[in-house]
Amino acid sequence: MPVVTHVLPEGADLSSARSALTDHLPLRAGRATRRTTTFYDTFDGRLHGAGLTLQHTGTALALSVRETGDEVASATVGAAPKRLFDRDLPAALAKWLAPEIEMRALLPVARLRTHELPLALLNEDTKTVARLTLSVTDDGTRGRVTATAIRGYESALERVQTTLVEKLALPEATVPLVDEAIAAAGGQPAGTSAKLSLALDPDEPANVAAARVFTRLVEVIRDNFPGTLDDVDSEFLHDLRVAVRRTRSLQRQFKTVYPERLQHFRDEFKRIQGVTGDLRDLDVYLLDFDDLKASLPEKMQADLEPLRTVIERRRARALTATRRALRAERTAGALSDWERFVTDRRPSDRTVGSLASHRITQVYRKMVKLGSAIDDDSPAEDLHELRKVGKELRYLLEFFASLYPTEVVKPFVKTLKGLQDQLGRFQDREVQANALRELAPALQDSPHTVMAMGVLVERFMQEELAARAEFAERFEAFASKAQRAIVKEHFG
Amino acid sequence: MSRVLATYNIKGGVGKTSAAVNLATLAAHDGAQTLLWDLDPQGASTYLFRVKPKIKGGGAKLVRGKTDVDGQIKGTDTDGLDLLPADFSYRHMDLALDGAKTNRLNRVIKPLGEYEYVFLDCPPSISLVSENVFEAADALLVPIIPATLSSRTLDQLHEVLSGGPKVLGFFSMADRRKKLHRELMEELGREHDVLETVIPTSADVERMGAERAALVDFAPRSRAALAYADLWNEIRARLAS
Repeated sequence: MPVVTHVLPEGADLSSARSALTDHLPLRAGRATRRTTTFYDTFDGRLHGAGLTLQHTGTALALSVRETGDEVASATVGAAPKRLFDRDLPAALAKWLAPEIEMRALLPVARLRTHELPLALLNEDTKTVARLTLSVTDDGTRGRVTATAIRGYESALERVQTTLVEKLALPEATVPLVDEAIAAAGGQPAGTSAKLSLALDPDEPANVAAARVFTRLVEVIRDNFPGTLDDVDSEFLHDLRVAVRRTRSLQRQFKTVYPERLQHFRDEFKRIQGVTGDLRDLDVYLLDFDDLKASLPEKMQADLEPLRTVIERRRARALTATRRALRAERTAGALSDWERFVTDRRPSDRTVGSLASHRITQVYRKMVKLGSAIDDDSPAEDLHELRKVGKELRYLLEFFASLYPTEVVKPFVKTLKGLQDQLGRFQDREVQANALRELAPALQDSPHTVMAMGVLVERFMQEELAARAEFAERFEAFASKAQRAIVKEHFG
Repeated sequence: MSRVLATYNIKGGVGKTSAAVNLATLAAHDGAQTLLWDLDPQGASTYLFRVKPKIKGGGAKLVRGKTDVDGQIKGTDTDGLDLLPADFSYRHMDLALDGAKTNRLNRVIKPLGEYEYVFLDCPPSISLVSENVFEAADALLVPIIPATLSSRTLDQLHEVLSGGPKVLGFFSMADRRKKLHRELMEELGREHDVLETVIPTSADVERMGAERAALVDFAPRSRAALAYADLWNEIRARLAS
């Protein structure tokens, strides 16, 4: 049924709003109620991005379309949950939400205490021909009046709308309530992104442009600190580590514009990456665990469970170590010192356009050289090395995308990504196989578990071979004559 | 597909409309999208819902598929409960249904799959309308006044229907203080499959005409309203079995 929502005047309460409406419309009031609504989203605003709103009221968790407010699905739960993963969601909601949130947790992003008054618009037979709801909150958002049509009496809704606009001068609500609630709570409706999203000028001094990239990366690290320490979901640590890795990559690529003290900061970021590595590895095992388990023959699946326990125990220890390292004054100090170091510099003579092009060309050439030397007999290390250099190139293209035409960068990144994904699969399988081998002694009392792990190791090794077989084809596209010409033309 | 439930009795004045209105309201309170089609040209349930008894083009065009049904449905004061109103022309419905090869009531109801329940409030008598109803309904809800004449209804229905919808008879307007009522209820209960819930005779039920609302809405704690709630639970259990 059609619905319209208008905004009440600032400071309006239920009784003043009701009497203003009653002056113009024949209304019968129902019983006023109070309720608390909690809105949920992931830290990076995935539901906002997908055009969805999740809210808890009373004992109901309801999912609706952001723009229209139309309910998509709902389920009965108890009190408002503090945190919700896909596995915690009732089936009716999981169907919609699981593909959006993936491994992220849904967190309360705003809470509204609302006073509501239902009103019925009556006709000459005192029949209800439209339903209105007045709602005001204690939480800094503007009150609203919502009118819903009743089937067969749609013209009554038009009458309500005309009255709201022409007689009462109440504007239509254009911002969804959830956005207003999040803004009132001091948050950002679209969530906190870990993306770079920088527009650089090619004529800027290289170190000035680099400082903007570095500063943004420090911001991402800081944004993700609290969620990592509170162990909210695995993406906080992941995004933090990606920002650290990107920082280290740019430090290497732009080292010519910095004096010798750069080494100190490179060591500090290396340390941060080191102390968080175990925790991330164990997170990945746990994220993949259910899929790995499901890939086993059915009667072996339960045998793998003791491995989960071992991983979880190790993860708890790794979390403690990571927390200690990240909370240390040394870490906070390193980040502040680093920010000062990159922003307090005299502008360099070299422009960012020239340095970025130079680095992109160099790294691309290095990749072509390394890749061309790889044949069927080359050791695995050669492929790992190629992947590492590929990452450097990927980051360069991400940092400096705004300096080049999109139609050049986009297909370039796509070809590179095709190669990197394939190299990644190759390396992942090797890492996974090694990890299982390493964990096996901890499970010597569970021979069935070790056997199940053996089945997985065997498969990883086969997949590693299959991934390797694809290498030549992917590399050919990346190092093709046409691609080399493009790099020469735009970056050379 | 909707579950179609018809309140039916060959006799009038046995509590058909009261049952249809209250049971449909209870269904909507449970959160089920519900439609009540008032097939009685006298339009008693349409009146109770304060809706004008008017179908554009009349009943004949509606059942012949000449009128858009969606456009004739009216929302009631109860959230989730809609009404397809009565029209005075329904008194000639027999003519409209005569000679049709297919079940015309069914043709109107089938596309309304958005409703979990469709209640048909039927006019009394055995006629073409009734035959169409018997075919369209999943169950007939048959109110029986525990008096000799009224009680013959079940026998007659069983004669007419074989292999048709479930027949769920229940005692309506019963007065346990009357010896005749008690005896007949016992006897019928032994001989026939009659639901356990008894709707008592009650001044509250009669107030529906003055209040123009369902009893379960304006006096939900009254004895008769509670009996309707029990009856609805019993009917749902029977539908599920």
